[in-house]
Amino acid sequence: MGYLNNSVVTVDAILTKKGRELLAKNDGSFRITQFALADDEIDYTLYNPTHPSGSSYYGEALENMPLLEAFPNETQIMKYKLVTLPRGTSKMPVLDLGYGSITLKQGATLSITPQTLNYLSGNQTFESSGYTAIISDVRLFNTFNGVGVNTEQAQAANSTTTIGTNVSKTVVGTTINLTATTVNTLFGNNTQLQATLTVIGRDSGARLTIPVTVTKNS
Amino acid sequence: MSFKRLDPQDFVVSADSITSTLWSDAQPTLSTFETSSTQEAGSSGDYYLSVYQTASSDATAAVQFDIAYGNKQGSGSIAYNSGVVGKSPTSTIYGQYRTMVLGDENTDFTFGDFTADEFIAVPIERARYKEGLFPGSLNLTLTNGSDTLNITDNSKDVSSITFVDSGRKFELVSGSNGTAYSGTGYTPGSGSYGWMLPDIGILLLNSKALEGSGADGGIGLAVTRSNGSNGGTNTSTFNAISDGASFQLNSQETITSDFVFVRARNAEFNYSENPSYISGSTGEVLYDEFINSPQSYITTVGMYNDNNDLLAVAKLSKPLLKDFTKETLVRVKLDF
Repeated sequence: MGYLNNSVVTVDAILTKKGRELLAKNDGSFRITQFALADDEIDYTLYNPTHPSGSSYYGEALENMPLLEAFPNETQIMKYKLVTLPRGTSKMPVLDLGYGSITLKQGATLSITPQTLNYLSGNQTFESSGYTAIISDVRLFNTFNGVGVNTEQAQAANSTTTIGTNVSKTVVGTTINLTATTVNTLFGNNTQLQATLTVIGRDSGARLTIPVTVTKNS
Repeated sequence: MSFKRLDPQDFVVSADSITSTLWSDAQPTLSTFETSSTQEAGSSGDYYLSVYQTASSDATAAVQFDIAYGNKQGSGSIAYNSGVVGKSPTSTIYGQYRTMVLGDENTDFTFGDFTADEFIAVPIERARYKEGLFPGSLNLTLTNGSDTLNITDNSKDVSSITFVDSGRKFELVSGSNGTAYSGTGYTPGSGSYGWMLPDIGILLLNSKALEGSGADGGIGLAVTRSNGSNGGTNTSTFNAISDGASFQLNSQETITSDFVFVRARNAEFNYSENPSYISGSTGEVLYDEFINSPQSYITTVGMYNDNNDLLAVAKLSKPLLKDFTKETLVRVKLDF
């Protein structure tokens, strides 16, 4: 008879930059209500289903890999979430924004309507809970909001404002509206500013990140 | 499908008491003591003497504690105004501590069974002691010439804790590790060697007890009561601590932790949105084996609010395999 391993995996968490911002706001938005799991750093091409020693060794190259410490930048961690899908799923949901990258002039406006491929066996292209969009530097846009999802949570996300600091902003909607900044002082000596836009399907967990560039009007 | 709501019973708040070494560089015992001639010659030197763990000019030098002599009559320092008797830096120190420690201007300090109108305060630097001093950890050696005295608090000898206005109070006695060598550990005629006030990080040394000869339980400490100069007793006390070359004391703090239990059921979180999990841009899973026996590896746990803002994040030490035959329980610790 052997002892069963009943130990619980214990990990120490750090606050993200966003978490510190919301904690400082002290408006009740720093309230953990849900969790997600991710497999950042994992390269599934290292998984070897033809390992000569059998299935117990398929994940040999992954299971003992050392992991990096957590990054406090919320846009650089939890990038690849684990999702719950029915057994037998052969195609993963994939996002299509219609753009591989975005370049806007100062003051220009753009609306993005994401679609999800392979979602619910391909019977639907728009996720009913909408999409979460995260801009890595909110200063680049005069307007950054989501429309089309009228839940209380979505409206709360769309109504939050962050002024003047280099932090991310998260909005929720079926369509994401962006208006590039008209503030010249942000550019300094540069002719363009760059950020990343990450869109995540709220039902599927599918994620896509594209670069966003705002160019200065001469 | 990628977020899972937490239940109220998934949260546990825990307060744990943590003790640690108190001095800089995590030294359990401070054995070298330095002062700053600049600080001593400055206006603050009239009141107290700062003690460093290394030469004050050194880049790593940090104040470890201060020494301040207090006297009710203002003896031992130059009067602020020669026409006003009894008002000097030592009387200011005395009044300051009387208010802070006793909270009553009509009460005097009683060390053991001896009422004193003077003391030598040793306030520990706040950054060192964090939240409080750890009773039972004090071992201070004082040496003056051939006389040596080992002082500790009597926290392990007392059955009930005594409180003053500044919180817990323990007597300083001749002994080690919170226990007197014999009996009460007091001097024969001058009471205890002072007080340990762990909640405000201060030691009060009974100067009368230290002033006594070796036969009287003291070390013959030179206590200056003339009004000709400032800081005489501070310097002699520093010399006694420095010559003793052993000051051991630990800090104590309460860490409030928020534990969140993250539970992934067998049918949950078995697929991944990792780009290496799919083949090409069409979303097909990388291996056919993943269609009916998907496997994922958990490396990161993210904690979110209702707006899906990532508030806190935790990394595992190594990837944790998840599939339809496994359930996972991860305890995430948030410290504040």
